[in-house]
Amino acid sequence: MRDGRTVIAVLVVPLVLYPGLMLFMGSIEAANKKEEQALRVRVGVVGEAQLPGLPERLRSLEGVSTVPLDKAPRSMESAGVDAVLLIPSALAGLVAKGDSAKVELLYKDADHKSSAADQRMQPVLDEVRRELTVMWAQSRGARVDASPAISVEDRDISSKAETGRFMAALIIPYILVFMVAAGSMHIAIDATTGEKERSTLETLLATSTSRGELVIGKCMAVITTALAAGIVGIFGLWFNFSVVANLMPGLASQSIQLSIRPEQALFLLITVLPTAIFLGATLVAIGCFARSMREGQTYATYVYMASVFLGLGSFRQLGTPPLSRFVIPILNTALLQREILTDTVVPAHAAITLGTSAAMAAIMLVVATRLFSNESVLFRT
Amino acid sequence: MIEVLNLCKTFHDRKKGDIPAVRDVSFSCAPGRVFGLLGRNGAGKTTTLRMLATILSPTSGTALIDGLDVNLRGGEVRKRIGYLSGDTKLYDRLTGRELLTYFGELAGMTPPSIAGRITELQVSFGLRDFLDKRVGKMSTGMKQRLSLARVVLHDPPVLIFDEPTSGLDVMGAREVLRIVLDLRSKGRTIIFSTHIMTEAERICDEIAIIERGSILAQGSVGALKSGNGGGTLEDVFVKTVGEVTSDT
Repeated sequence: MRDGRTVIAVLVVPLVLYPGLMLFMGSIEAANKKEEQALRVRVGVVGEAQLPGLPERLRSLEGVSTVPLDKAPRSMESAGVDAVLLIPSALAGLVAKGDSAKVELLYKDADHKSSAADQRMQPVLDEVRRELTVMWAQSRGARVDASPAISVEDRDISSKAETGRFMAALIIPYILVFMVAAGSMHIAIDATTGEKERSTLETLLATSTSRGELVIGKCMAVITTALAAGIVGIFGLWFNFSVVANLMPGLASQSIQLSIRPEQALFLLITVLPTAIFLGATLVAIGCFARSMREGQTYATYVYMASVFLGLGSFRQLGTPPLSRFVIPILNTALLQREILTDTVVPAHAAITLGTSAAMAAIMLVVATRLFSNESVLFRT
Repeated sequence: MIEVLNLCKTFHDRKKGDIPAVRDVSFSCAPGRVFGLLGRNGAGKTTTLRMLATILSPTSGTALIDGLDVNLRGGEVRKRIGYLSGDTKLYDRLTGRELLTYFGELAGMTPPSIAGRITELQVSFGLRDFLDKRVGKMSTGMKQRLSLARVVLHDPPVLIFDEPTSGLDVMGAREVLRIVLDLRSKGRTIIFSTHIMTEAERICDEIAIIERGSILAQGSVGALKSGNGGGTLEDVFVKTVGEVTSDT
């Protein structure tokens, strides 16, 4: 606990920094949405009278004011509008004849206000499509006294608990892998290359403890720190999203119920253990090989980056992953953890993941021990 | 008892090829005596002592520490030695007591025996005032006294000191030498490497002058002086080493 960098990696970063950053990003997103809703846009309309009911519909849109135009302006800026709705003249006649007719909304995606105008106008464009269809049907003799009230829309009916479960399955495997890698990185290099650099290694090697025991001891310290970082990371997520977000009115929209059952937590720990051993032993092996802390940290950063990318692979995985994904270390653990959190564990996936991870962990422990016992590696300059 | 028999160490460098660091070194040291290895920087002293401490493996030859072969019984050899090098550092984040406890545990000592030994050492090594201070906040002299306490914590019969006074001021160096002499009087077998002639002259019962990995001369201080027509130990050293240097 006296190593400031390890304390920061294990406690401050997972408990405060990352959840804080995620909440901060969420609050920015919420603020942006609020600002967008308050935005007032002007839409120029050419041929407003061509569609009955359109003027009323346009005026009912919140935050949208319309400007009647005779023709499309040369530039929207000079016309003082953010978007232009173009309705061709004699639209009803064109539709009745069966000719093609195009109604267009001109806007600029690169312009924030213009883009907002496009989004606000989407319901109107849907209505125009429906009106045109009705118009065509009437011209063909269909009995349509009034436009049918057809509405196709989506509505999210997930409860906070369901959203929380989904988010847990999405985020927790990634965060666990990511935190385990981040938590083990500094201490692994410090316990190996750091010993060389601080000239404490010789003292240690001259004790009656065997080199194998020393490596195992170092790996245990790294693994413990890595697991602590992972557990603290999940606690940090739960605390910030389920407790802090509920307490702060400004962040209320960000609050979700992150819930993990005890047996799920146990399985998560079981699955993360071989991966923590694998990562810890890999980083210790790197530390044994590296000549200086700087060299060790450079190599360790590559391992960390690889872990992050493999973790991201699970983040992007949709549906049931193919069996081959479960032989890739780190990714397999994240994928299995996702199955655990969604109660969809496939026994074959679990067996392959645990088997592969344990085998990789054992191989890396042997490699780390060999490197630590090899004087030409340990004392290379 | 230490017996070094035809010890050799060759390092391999990808660009330079084989680099012999120690060549056919043999000597012995009995309990209650201090054997000095005298040589310039890079002469092969540290490599020799690292092999005796089983930190490095000999390329050929061997050494017996208390009758145990360093090549075959490294773990048991390490139980019987205390090794201190001048550039060896301690863990800055631990207090003196925590550090001694840690090394006691690594040596396989039980918690009560560690506590008892710390109580003994804090008197004989004058650790009382700073034993519960963090190592990082200790002076160089305090650290060196703590290092010496660490070396003898498990009460080893053989002690290996590799330039233990390097970086110390006059008072600190005198304190180290006093402790080494005290350990000799208690019957410990001591190997002491240095490049400081006055130190060697003061505490060593027998001296070997080492240059380019080979022992050039060996004997008591008096015998070395008389064998080279008198003069100081420094004169003997310069003459012995100078002859080899001018030959090549």
